[in-house]
Amino acid sequence: MLMPKRVKYRRQHRGSLKGRAKGGTQVSHGEFGLQALEGEWITSRQIEAARIAMTRYMKRGGKVWIKIFPDKPKTAKPLEVRMGSGKGSPEGWVAVVKPGKILFEIAGVNEEVAREALRLASHKLPVKTKFVKREEIGGDSNES
Amino acid sequence: MAATIQAKDRSDLRRSQTRRLRKDGYIPAVVYGKGKEPVTVAVEGVELIKNVRDEGRNAVFSLDIEGKNQLNVMLYDYQSDQIKDELIHADFYQVDMSTEVDVEVDINFEGEAQGVKDGGVKQQTLHTIHVRSTPNNIPDEIKIDISELTIGDSITVGDLTSGNGYEFLDEPDTTVITILPPQSADVPEEGEEGGDEEAEPEVINEKSEDEE
Repeated sequence: MLMPKRVKYRRQHRGSLKGRAKGGTQVSHGEFGLQALEGEWITSRQIEAARIAMTRYMKRGGKVWIKIFPDKPKTAKPLEVRMGSGKGSPEGWVAVVKPGKILFEIAGVNEEVAREALRLASHKLPVKTKFVKREEIGGDSNES
Repeated sequence: MAATIQAKDRSDLRRSQTRRLRKDGYIPAVVYGKGKEPVTVAVEGVELIKNVRDEGRNAVFSLDIEGKNQLNVMLYDYQSDQIKDELIHADFYQVDMSTEVDVEVDINFEGEAQGVKDGGVKQQTLHTIHVRSTPNNIPDEIKIDISELTIGDSITVGDLTSGNGYEFLDEPDTTVITILPPQSADVPEEGEEGGDEEAEPEVINEKSEDEE
C-alpha cells in the first residue's frame, strides 16, 4: 500500500477540492492514460485495487505508472464516540485528485488491452474517468 | 505549396469578445516572429486542426489575414482544455525560410522487435526528439527500425542518423527505446497485502508533536 515514508506532522487540515488539476494533465510516460473528470480523495487502498485490476488483466505485458501518490493523512473518530475531544486518529492515506489529473498510465500493450485494463481500474475508483492517449492536437483520440 | 489558413483580424481583445469568438467556432491566436510586431488574429478551429493533422505539427502554413496579409507561419504553441479537448488559443511563429528553427519531431517505430516476440516489454522513453533545421527540411517523423532488437537491447539518440538538412539536439546518450526482460508477476494475491496496512510513517519532529 502506498504511503509516505516520513511525515512532518501526523494530521493535516482537510483543505478544499476547488478548481482543476494544475499539472499532470497529459500522458507523459506511457502511451495511454486514465484521466479523472471529478475531484475526490482517492485512498491508497483504491489505488492499490486499481493497480491490481490492471496488472492482472495485462498479465505480465506492458508497464504501468501510478501518477498520484496518497500523501495526505485521513483521520477518523472511533465508532460511538461523542463529538469533540480533539481530532481523530489517522486512519489511512489519500491522494487529492482534481478534474483533469492523469491517474494511471500504461505502455507496452495495444490499445484494446490498455482500454480494457483501464476500464477495470476505473471501477475501483470513486471518480468518473476517461481513457486518453498521448497528446494530439484537437484531442480527437481522447474520447471516453 | 503550404496549406493556407484563413484568419481574421482581432483588434477587440475584451474577454467577452474572445468568448464570443470561441462560441462561433474560432480560436483566438497571436502571430509573432523575430523582429516582427505581434498581430492578434482569430482562426477557424476546425480548419486549423484539419490542416495541422494533414500537414503535420511542424508544417509551414500560409496565414491569410483577411486577404490583406500573407504570412509564412508555424504552429508554435497551443493551449487546450484538457477535459473538453478543445483548443483555447494558438501561437503562430512567423518564420524566415532560410533561418534554422528548433522543433520537436515525433518518433515512430517500424516493425516488431524480436525481443517483444520473445516475451520482452518495449519501453519507449523518448517520444519526441529535438531537431534543428530550416522550416522546409523538418522531417514529419523520425522512423526507427526496431525489428532487430532483442531483450536487453536499446537505441540511443547517438544511434540515429541525421537526415539531410537537419540535426538532432538531444544528448547522444539519451535512450529512445529499451526492450526490457519479461516482468515477474508482482501482483499480490488478495490478503497478501494486508500486513503493512497499519504501519505508520515516521514523524520527523515527533517530540514537539507529543508536547502539544
